[in-house]
Amino acid sequence: MQHINYVLKASLILSLFSMALISSTPAVAADKENCLMCHKYKQLGRIDEDGRKRNYSVDENIYANTTHRNVPCRDCHSYIKKLPHDPVTEEVNCANECHIKPPFSKENFSHKNIIEVYNNSAHGKKDDDSQAVRDAKPHCKYCHLNPLYTMVDEKRVAFDTTLTRCLNCHERKGVTQAYKHITHRLRHKTSRSPQEIVQLCSKNCHEDIDSMKSLNVSRESLEAVATYNQSVHGKSVALGSQEAADCVSCHATSAIHDIYKKDDPKATVHKDKIANTCKQCHEDANEQFAKIDVHSKIDKEKPVLYVANTSLHFVFYGSVFGLVGLMLLETFGRKKDGIKWQIRRGTTWRGKSKRK
Amino acid sequence: MKVAGKPKRLEHPKSVYIIGFIFKIVTLLVFIGVTYQVTFSHHGPGLLIPMKKKMDEKQRSAILDEVRQQEAYEKHRHFHNTVEYPKLPENVQPVCYICHSDYPHSKSKKVRALLNMHTQFFVCETCHIETKEGVDLVYKWYNPLNEDPQGPFFGTSYDSDTGNLAEVEDQFSKIAPYYRYGERLESALQIQDAPLAQDYMNVRDKLTPEQRDNVKKKFHVSIKPKGHDCKDCHSKQGILVYNDLGFSLNRTVDLQQLNIAGMITKYEKFYIPKLFSY
Repeated sequence: MQHINYVLKASLILSLFSMALISSTPAVAADKENCLMCHKYKQLGRIDEDGRKRNYSVDENIYANTTHRNVPCRDCHSYIKKLPHDPVTEEVNCANECHIKPPFSKENFSHKNIIEVYNNSAHGKKDDDSQAVRDAKPHCKYCHLNPLYTMVDEKRVAFDTTLTRCLNCHERKGVTQAYKHITHRLRHKTSRSPQEIVQLCSKNCHEDIDSMKSLNVSRESLEAVATYNQSVHGKSVALGSQEAADCVSCHATSAIHDIYKKDDPKATVHKDKIANTCKQCHEDANEQFAKIDVHSKIDKEKPVLYVANTSLHFVFYGSVFGLVGLMLLETFGRKKDGIKWQIRRGTTWRGKSKRK
Repeated sequence: MKVAGKPKRLEHPKSVYIIGFIFKIVTLLVFIGVTYQVTFSHHGPGLLIPMKKKMDEKQRSAILDEVRQQEAYEKHRHFHNTVEYPKLPENVQPVCYICHSDYPHSKSKKVRALLNMHTQFFVCETCHIETKEGVDLVYKWYNPLNEDPQGPFFGTSYDSDTGNLAEVEDQFSKIAPYYRYGERLESALQIQDAPLAQDYMNVRDKLTPEQRDNVKKKFHVSIKPKGHDCKDCHSKQGILVYNDLGFSLNRTVDLQQLNIAGMITKYEKFYIPKLFSY
């Protein structure tokens, strides 16, 4: 009897999915199970039992332009077995295998390789981590939203021109998606800008001194954001540079997730590897160059640096404020002399001085 | 011609003024930038940052902090790129939202999110207004910012290229009920401009919880707690005349019969008690 019930239940679930699948206009090709039938609406959501606002809407037009657009929803949300489904209590496991077979591979796609790299990194949860540390360590979604395909810089790839050549042999839709998939990654190290990387690592994480202190990180790590912001790299990135080094530029290889503490021989900033890391941008970098302290805290403990830095500050600020100050004094003096300040007939300063 | 005794600078060409003006602007910008760098920037000495931190600390609200933290958390929990849609100004938000928020349904675990989804298309009264005996209720699009919205309205048609719902400019129009008295239509909406609603807003902090409950009852005189059943709209004989409301033919068919109605049929079967308990 139980066996029959099980079959009945399974058939019903299958039929529900099938009916949902065949009964409407397809929203996007990837949504094979038609989950967007409900989830495309922006007000699909609720206030949960803890008073938190939860929105479950997925914009179908945006979703169609993300890297996951071809992944059936239930490949990630594998805990959903029926329609309409119960409130979700499980998290997505990014190491799941999905039903996408990448080109040149017979294996189903999974993020498990990169997750393994991540788990071995300083950010991965370790057995000897305290609960506070485990809770504080970021998981995939902490840093990643569903990545949107963005056009690569025209200087790197002539996107339209090259794509047009592909279209000589391939169908537009398929090859455009494949082309975007590859060119999206033809950037420096990540598809994020240096500004986004710095923001990601700083906000709610490494710049939160109280939180970092509670995790017993080293003094250098505690000051990492402040010292980076004071560095030439930090200032360049803050001024909009797309070339200057961000956190990932120095602290990870192309695997991006392999960030280790600097004492770890695997770390890209380990003393044995740092020169090579610098060479990524500074071609002539050598061991001597690599000794330059990038995260340098300038205080009285380093007197030479401190004096040099303070002197340069005086020179720089003295020049600017001195110049503006002189202009203000000049203006004040002329006004006091009774010379009018007007912009017409050839000069801003008219009239004769009262001085004799 | 130079005149003796007159200042020579009277003869400056116009380009000198332009150069002078540009110079002044550049000087001003450099001055502002450097001043910011010295005072508040994290990339400079940041002389006034400690003072700013102290001031921020004084104005800090634990609730506000938590709300912001939750919003940031929710964005990443969601993962699928949440979209910030335009919102109605506070003074024209539906009056019901003051107490019930824009996610008003919470009781039925199975359908609360689906019911909340409908708030994108309906004002609350569309489902919850009491009918008046002998008076017809008709439905038309209502936009608090536009007396006579003409559409196209969201959700009424599909994009022929993508098959997705067509994107529209009008983000605020919703289907609303009107009482029909002969040729005249009278809105059945409770709006924030209503004297009772305005008065309540002014005095609600001065009322005791009991008094507040009593006043709230006044608001709900014409409101029924249970809204329509799904089939009341999602069927061919439903109360909403989709064609008249501007829905395209294929969208009308979907709403009446196919996906939504099909799902609701399954819904009823699916949640018949004890179906899966053995």
